[in-house]
Amino acid sequence: MMPNFSYLRVNSLEQAVEGLTSPETRVLAGGTDLLGCLRDRIFPADKLVSITRLDKLRGIEETADGGLRIGALTTLTELIDSPKLKERFPGLAQAAGEAASPQLRNQGTIGGNICQKPRCWYYRGEFHCLRKGGTLCYAFGGENQFHAIFGTDNKCCIVHPSDPSPALVAFEATVRVVGPKGTRLVPMEKFHVLPAENVEKETVLEQGEIVTEIVLPKPAAGTRSSYRKVRARRSWDFALAGVALAVAFKGDKVERARVVLSGAAPVPWRVKEVEEIVTGKKLDASTIAKAAAATVKNAQPLEHNAYKIPLFKAVMEEQLTAMAKG
Amino acid sequence: MKVDDPELYYMEGFPVPETPAPGEDPKPWIETFVIGKPLPRVDAYQRVSGSAIYPSDVSFPDMIYGVVVGSPHPNAMVERIDTSKAEKMPGVRAVITGSTAGADLTWKWPYGNSKSKLFDPHCRFEGDAVAGIAADTPYQAADAAAAVEVQYKVLPFVVDERKALDPAAPVIHGKDNHVGKPDTYERGDVNKGFAEADVVLETEYRTECLIHTPMELHGCVARWDGDRLTIWESTQGVYPVQQDVAGVLGMPLAKVRVIGHYMGGGFGSKLQAGKYTVIASLLAKATGRPVKLFLSREETFLSTGNRPPSNMKLKAGVKKDGTLTALEFTCLGTGGAYQSGGISLVDWLIRDLYTCPNVRCECNDVFINAGCARPFRAPGHPQGSWALEQTLDALAEAIKMDPVDLRLKNIPLYSQARAGDPPYTTTGLKECIEKGAAAFGWKEARKKLSQTKQEGHIRTGIGMGACLWFVGGGRPPSTIVLKLFSDGSANLNMGASDLGTGTKTVMAMVVAEELGLKIHNIQIENADTGATQYATASGGSKTVPTESPAVRAAAVEVKRQLLKIAADELKTDVQALTIRNGEILSSREPAKRIKIPDLKGLKQRGVIVGIGYRGPNPSNKWVNPFGAQFCEVKVDMRTGEIEVVRFVAAQESGRVMNRLTYDSQVIGGITMGIGLGLTEMRVLDGNETGKMCNRNWHDYKLPTALDVPREIVSVPIDPGDTEANSTGAKGLGEPVTIPTAAVIANAVYNATGIRVTETPMSPVKLCLMLAERDRRK
Amino acid sequence: MGKDSDENDRASHGGVTRRGFIASVGVGAVVAATGVTTAETAEPQVVKPEEMAKITLLINGRKHRMLVEPRWSLLYVLREKLGLTGTKVGCERGECGACTVLVNGVPRYACLTLAIEAEGQEITTLEGLMSGEELGPVQVAFVEHDAFQCGYCTPGQIMAVEGLLRKNPHPSDAEIRLGASGNLCRCGAYLNIFKAADRAAHLKAGKGGKP
Repeated sequence: MMPNFSYLRVNSLEQAVEGLTSPETRVLAGGTDLLGCLRDRIFPADKLVSITRLDKLRGIEETADGGLRIGALTTLTELIDSPKLKERFPGLAQAAGEAASPQLRNQGTIGGNICQKPRCWYYRGEFHCLRKGGTLCYAFGGENQFHAIFGTDNKCCIVHPSDPSPALVAFEATVRVVGPKGTRLVPMEKFHVLPAENVEKETVLEQGEIVTEIVLPKPAAGTRSSYRKVRARRSWDFALAGVALAVAFKGDKVERARVVLSGAAPVPWRVKEVEEIVTGKKLDASTIAKAAAATVKNAQPLEHNAYKIPLFKAVMEEQLTAMAKG
Repeated sequence: MKVDDPELYYMEGFPVPETPAPGEDPKPWIETFVIGKPLPRVDAYQRVSGSAIYPSDVSFPDMIYGVVVGSPHPNAMVERIDTSKAEKMPGVRAVITGSTAGADLTWKWPYGNSKSKLFDPHCRFEGDAVAGIAADTPYQAADAAAAVEVQYKVLPFVVDERKALDPAAPVIHGKDNHVGKPDTYERGDVNKGFAEADVVLETEYRTECLIHTPMELHGCVARWDGDRLTIWESTQGVYPVQQDVAGVLGMPLAKVRVIGHYMGGGFGSKLQAGKYTVIASLLAKATGRPVKLFLSREETFLSTGNRPPSNMKLKAGVKKDGTLTALEFTCLGTGGAYQSGGISLVDWLIRDLYTCPNVRCECNDVFINAGCARPFRAPGHPQGSWALEQTLDALAEAIKMDPVDLRLKNIPLYSQARAGDPPYTTTGLKECIEKGAAAFGWKEARKKLSQTKQEGHIRTGIGMGACLWFVGGGRPPSTIVLKLFSDGSANLNMGASDLGTGTKTVMAMVVAEELGLKIHNIQIENADTGATQYATASGGSKTVPTESPAVRAAAVEVKRQLLKIAADELKTDVQALTIRNGEILSSREPAKRIKIPDLKGLKQRGVIVGIGYRGPNPSNKWVNPFGAQFCEVKVDMRTGEIEVVRFVAAQESGRVMNRLTYDSQVIGGITMGIGLGLTEMRVLDGNETGKMCNRNWHDYKLPTALDVPREIVSVPIDPGDTEANSTGAKGLGEPVTIPTAAVIANAVYNATGIRVTETPMSPVKLCLMLAERDRRK
Repeated sequence: MGKDSDENDRASHGGVTRRGFIASVGVGAVVAATGVTTAETAEPQVVKPEEMAKITLLINGRKHRMLVEPRWSLLYVLREKLGLTGTKVGCERGECGACTVLVNGVPRYACLTLAIEAEGQEITTLEGLMSGEELGPVQVAFVEHDAFQCGYCTPGQIMAVEGLLRKNPHPSDAEIRLGASGNLCRCGAYLNIFKAADRAAHLKAGKGGKP
């Protein structure tokens, strides 16, 4: 049962930004993540600013350059159902479809999805962990089978829970953020924050800032994309290992590649090692094998998640092989 | 040394009334008109329309809401509780602790001899009750719970049963963490048996701890009316709850009324009252208001039972011809922080399923600082099956025998583990295996798989296994009152709960069969200690075989009186009268017929009342259900993902009472078995805190709609059990979940060559095992 | 929206620009399933924690005026304030689907929906599928195929299937399984739920006949 809060339903973005008066004021959109966090008393909320009536933040439209602009309040279901998205950014549509459950996809927004809080059971549970201002990451010495193998900086080993985020990074999307100081655009790749930078934050959002839309540039000609997720059960589960690919081919050679992992690190994890290996090459068996091996080259598995090493290799191999076939 | 079978659900050996009198038992049905048909449930409308009132739906205008404050530590002493802040919070009506007058009560833990306080100052597991609060809204109650200040002395803990006997482990009760002496069983001479064997295999197995998590939360609404307490509880048995509550509160049984018309699942976790039941009653008393107290989902993960983890070792010997020569089994288990049957029945299948002259079992139960076990759909059996069926699979391979044939070679006709070697009334085991194999196409599939070299990363495998369930025959006591009204409608009064297995529907069908009534003219009142007959809890897959003979007895008694009235009015011989479709007919004089509503004698009386009792089971024979299951899986050899493609379940549970609900039990049992095999495990933070990590349905993974096979074929085996009881029914709900996980494991082995000996077989485990094997190659 | 390239350049340096605030946000084109559109200049609605908000909920075609705390979930209000107990409580954290209702025809979890947020939306609960005492087609199909056991998750399952069929009247087997994948059933009735969903699609299409 949630503690009480004051509630502010705004009619404009200006009102929303003005309403975000304290660090403990939270933005309410789909509510699927926030309300659960409040119920679990993970962090307090003195006020919820409901932006759900800001209809301007809803929907998908084409940009002048042939890309897409997705309003932050667009639900994951609306993403999955969008013919334009399916046609130009199939990997993103797949990723949205792999997230959560049908009902949660009907409720949850893309803005909320990229801002969601980690699912680490220590963070979500009654453990005063480092990310909640405590002194200890319980996962390093504890039950870490679902935790990170990259980017932990020996501070916090959450994995970023979002499925769409790695696909958005792969498509080189940009996040538009509005705050008290105005608007800024943040490349998706720089939107999430590693523990080394700030262990109590997951995104670059500052006090008073709201994600308003995500802009997808037009993919290069010949781009193929995919998202593949392995999980412990087939619905309603976060990634044990996920791979988002956006690969532009010229003829049978890779011209440009973006390879991003989910379930791997505290942020969507771009593996430039793999991108470098495949760029300029034909995706033949030997290139794919090298790429698969490079996926986990710098991984640092914990006591209970060593399986992620062969698993990421397997998924990378499987996905690059499928992509080579077209 | 033979033993009497363990008593888990009920006792044997007391005199019970019998109707009809012994020797006058109704003969087994031969041709049936209603029984066995796939009829929709009699309460289907209520369940799909929302008009079924489950206990958590009960509401009163003056009702308030209760909450339990639980210990956040797995082992801690409560040194001080300050409730003053909570008491002053908005909407709060009562805060009770162990020092509140009337709340210093003794709590008896249900499966053993353990006792503690209701609010015990020593919290030996996370979530044990520390205080209770009632407030106007559940939100306010939760606010107040968060404001209760408890000063704990946090103690060292042990939450891993494998470490509970370490000298350094904190001792939870007594002088070490042993619950008692090891539970041992022995027949023959295992060493001799192993010496005779051509192949001996020894393997360690482990099954993880599972949580029942029925969809409806555990809890109740409690309401006082003077000195009478009425409780609407989500329960499998209203009478056991009555007994528990009356016992703790020191009240006369007759003053505690427990009602549970509907309930949203229990699977063994709702066979008795919880502390929450008593706390709700105390809060209702303190406030003079009805109190609704349902635990939160997270709390139910901590304190409402589990299928305990089992650490097993099985050594087995077999001759080349498939004769089992010896089985030696050890198990370390835990029921949690109090005696709760942590090893209960884990070894039963090793003792009794397959013919084997030399068997030795030793099971050790230890205490840990975790929530107590409760019976969980076929307690012990799926764990033992995980070890036994995988071992048989491995033995079959070692002697190059079809696993089906190995099992067929060792079919017992009597219960080897019970004193006196009682024969089974029927043993459908052989038929289950043979017919199941035929329906699955086992031989063909096996041949095809052995002849084709599988290419690519997706490999197909098949597996099988068999089972019995150690009870499932039902037993007394049960009383049924059946009222036939003058218009030909009937009211059936039964104490038992319908867990969703279709109990009520089956009982209405028995009445319809016997009295020729229309199903929709039969109304059932059940599960109310104040208004319905005595019944034991619905558990142990015994409800239909317990209640249906009593219902039939009551119907036979009504029929006797009815036909007497009809014979008088028709002036004909009662012996020649039968009932069809609400009409009484004479087989000798076709002109003599009368509809039930036209009987003047019945109209004058208004009603015929028949009382039926459940008589004793046959002496010197044993009643058990059997089964065999077969499955096909596809395994991704790179990622370790497993897809269960199809299942066949051939179950011998006596007479099929309703084919529709029968098949529902089958698909439900297999789905639950998939959870054990592939997705579910309790995770405790063993190093730092001992707290449960995955106390929610995101992290504790039930199978979803996408985790079940496309096809589950149910092949009922009914050899016609005329001795078990007067309806010939045996239990189904539990046997059908017993071998499922092991059957999947055997199929995974068949596909991959890797034997996964620990549940769950998720990519977390299998991906690593596959990779390690590839590396070794 | 020609400012994009300019802003993208700045974005790569993490720059901030006042330009474009409000003016350039928003997609605008596709909108408004919510039914409540308030002028941007209208004052925001404020409810303090100690206050109750006066709201009107439109449930099964009927308006309910009531006072709610901001934190009350739609689930709590439906069950404990309006007595609509067809919507069940399973986890209160969006993990089981027992509380599934339709909001503007779309299945959602009532436990993760604030009642105050549901104002102005069209809410359909299990009770709303009935016509008087007569069952709706999805309910009939669930009865015919015994698509439940204890029945507690059933209202949510029915609402999920209802929502699926409203969006996709002729779903494939795979679409049915996916549509049912946001509702847990511990009794394990999934296979019969799939059959019932398929049957319900036929019933809704006016094709009766034997199941």
